[in-house]
Amino acid sequence: MNQQKPSDPTLKLRGALPLAPAPERCPAPVPERLGHFIGGEVVPGRDESLFTSYEPATGEPLCQVAAADAEEVDRAVTAARSAFDRVWGGMPGAERGKYLYRIARRIQERSRELAVLESRDNGKPIRETRDVDLPLVAAHFFYYAGWADKLDYAIPGQRVRPVGVAGQIIPWNFPLLMAAWKLAPALATGNTVVLKPAETTPLTAMMLAEILAEAELPPGVVNIVNGAGATGAALVDHPGVDKIAFTGSTEVGRIITRATAGSGKRLTMELGGKGANIVFADAALDQAVEGVIDGIFFNQGQVCCAGSRLLIEEGIAAAFLDRLKRRIETLRIGDPLDKNTDVGALNSVEQLQRVQRYIEIGRRQGAAVWQGSACPTPEQGYFVAPTLLTGVQQTDTVVREEIFGPVLSVLTFRTPDEAIRKANDTEYGLAASVWTEKASKLFEVAHALNSGVVWANGANLFDPASPFGGMRHSGFGREGGIAGLWPYLEIQ
Amino acid sequence: MSARLTIDKTLKLYVGGKFIRSESGRTMPIEDEDHRAVNVARGSRKDLREAIRIARAATGPWAGRTAYNRGQILYRLAEMLEGRLPSLSPGAEAAIDRVVHHAGWSDKIAAVLSALNPVSTTYVNYARMRPLGVVCAAPDPADGLLGLVEAAAANAVMGNATVLLIDARSATAAAELAEALATSDFPGGVINVLTGELAELLHHAADHDDVDGLYLAHGATASLQGELEAAGARVLRRMLVVPGAARPATPIQLQKLAEVQTVWVSAYEPQGGAPGY
Repeated sequence: MNQQKPSDPTLKLRGALPLAPAPERCPAPVPERLGHFIGGEVVPGRDESLFTSYEPATGEPLCQVAAADAEEVDRAVTAARSAFDRVWGGMPGAERGKYLYRIARRIQERSRELAVLESRDNGKPIRETRDVDLPLVAAHFFYYAGWADKLDYAIPGQRVRPVGVAGQIIPWNFPLLMAAWKLAPALATGNTVVLKPAETTPLTAMMLAEILAEAELPPGVVNIVNGAGATGAALVDHPGVDKIAFTGSTEVGRIITRATAGSGKRLTMELGGKGANIVFADAALDQAVEGVIDGIFFNQGQVCCAGSRLLIEEGIAAAFLDRLKRRIETLRIGDPLDKNTDVGALNSVEQLQRVQRYIEIGRRQGAAVWQGSACPTPEQGYFVAPTLLTGVQQTDTVVREEIFGPVLSVLTFRTPDEAIRKANDTEYGLAASVWTEKASKLFEVAHALNSGVVWANGANLFDPASPFGGMRHSGFGREGGIAGLWPYLEIQ
Repeated sequence: MSARLTIDKTLKLYVGGKFIRSESGRTMPIEDEDHRAVNVARGSRKDLREAIRIARAATGPWAGRTAYNRGQILYRLAEMLEGRLPSLSPGAEAAIDRVVHHAGWSDKIAAVLSALNPVSTTYVNYARMRPLGVVCAAPDPADGLLGLVEAAAANAVMGNATVLLIDARSATAAAELAEALATSDFPGGVINVLTGELAELLHHAADHDDVDGLYLAHGATASLQGELEAAGARVLRRMLVVPGAARPATPIQLQKLAEVQTVWVSAYEPQGGAPGY
């Protein structure tokens, strides 16, 4: 079996590998100051609203960003409404689609630049922005471009029309990808948009604005307002907004749901998660180890669908943990712009402190804390080494609450039933993974999980053709696939 | 000739396949079509809680039946209603036909709403419909029996267990449905009927954390919708507002009574066989 014999040599990777840096060299200039993109024009925003955005890998200031107030949000919504009424809402689908194809191509052409900018702004490794985020961003525009002239087939037996003006509020963990997830289906279905990027990651959205202008997208079809919670609230409360699409925390999702109750505004909510990663004894264990790593350390665990609860079948738990630890000790943590880096920086000092606080809570509640990586954790910047918490219980805070960091809580189970019960014992229901080579067990468990997405022998997989979204407190509505069109369409 | 003294019937709640009185012991008087006073059990918060608990327990077994079997059970309900047609309120034919309509969806709706998604990797990816779970439904009293069966059948066909919240003024139709249900093959708890003060029952339902969805007929609940949405924010509750029961739920409305669950299944054989053996 997989039990390591005591005589096996222990791998000591830290310091053993010469880790020569391979920095990404594509230049991506960072503007000194970011404003807003309203009615097709870049506007500087108000001087008094400026705040500083920091580079997560260094903790140094990156740029100044203006925050939009209610008046600026109003101008953006007015521009969106006028674009909806005058050009976009009534434009033939095939023409709308051509704009989206253009945007997709343009993103592909400038993808390296965008990837570098994203890694600097967000802190995630260039390997991820280059190989995951950016290809998916372009793919989302390509996918929904093709839907624009086929909306008669989007809802069985119904004629449809766009909802109108969509207010879209996106998070900092996948800044440009979330913009693409929101914009592509909204635009394909004929809606116009006011997009609010997260306050800590405004850079790529503003470069996207440049791309939209280059693609000659009619002014006002997409407007971008920067800012934090107050800007978001102004957008949510604006009476001219017909629909709110939000990705972020469950807490803010509740606030938005309350704020819009009775207003007739349509909502989609893509909120938090506490995903289970269920590993059965009959799984392909090496693949499962890779999956667990991808599940929790991808984007430093700052992923709503992260597999942050590892459930291992009891009989293989010790051996599996050994394998997992050995693999974690090969992960390189450090400069996001180094192409070798596996684990980058957390997005902000607040997030860093939040994750550290949770590790401390775990420790206080009796968890054993284990951290590993192939190289020392950088002292500057917002870094947390990959962390395992063992000896935890179903009721522990670190098992129940979303940590949003590279922290994996490890639990065990004996039977498929127990695995299902433990996996479902959460108020969330976004994503989960199941690892087994036995097909009947795989389908039975996958279908029994209260989870909007289930990866069977996989983790953290995304595709524009695949609907993504949660059950229970993880939100409602789907992004991706044909189901991703539904929230942006009204029945005629 | 002295008229025969008729037997009055108190209209009871129907929960878990049983006719029960309200735990509160309270009733509400209404007038039936012949302007005779009828007492209707007034469902309390505790009755609702119990109904939700029983409905929750019924969800797994109900959703676990084959779609064909659920369709058969729905059709059997239509047979039971038809047999009682002479005693049903006027217009009940439409309600019976509606049950037949939804019975037919049972093993077909998944084919209309599900998708096989061509993802750019070696995975089989499908989006399937998964029941919401427990739904509290408030049909429009103006729709009578038709409104009740529309709400109950649409939910049943999607695999949900339903607690129908009925204003006591529509208790006659509620009793007609409950009595047909009791003689149908519906397992207890899949469709439950609570009568009482509608706004009161709806507020209790909205405050209950174990209700997955609220199904609201616009006519019954328009004035309460804002409050109910706000209360639902705590649990991100699904809300389906339907205009009424004049038309059967469309596929996209039925979709809203289910969750889209996306499943990725690796179609890739690990090289060199699975190393974990």
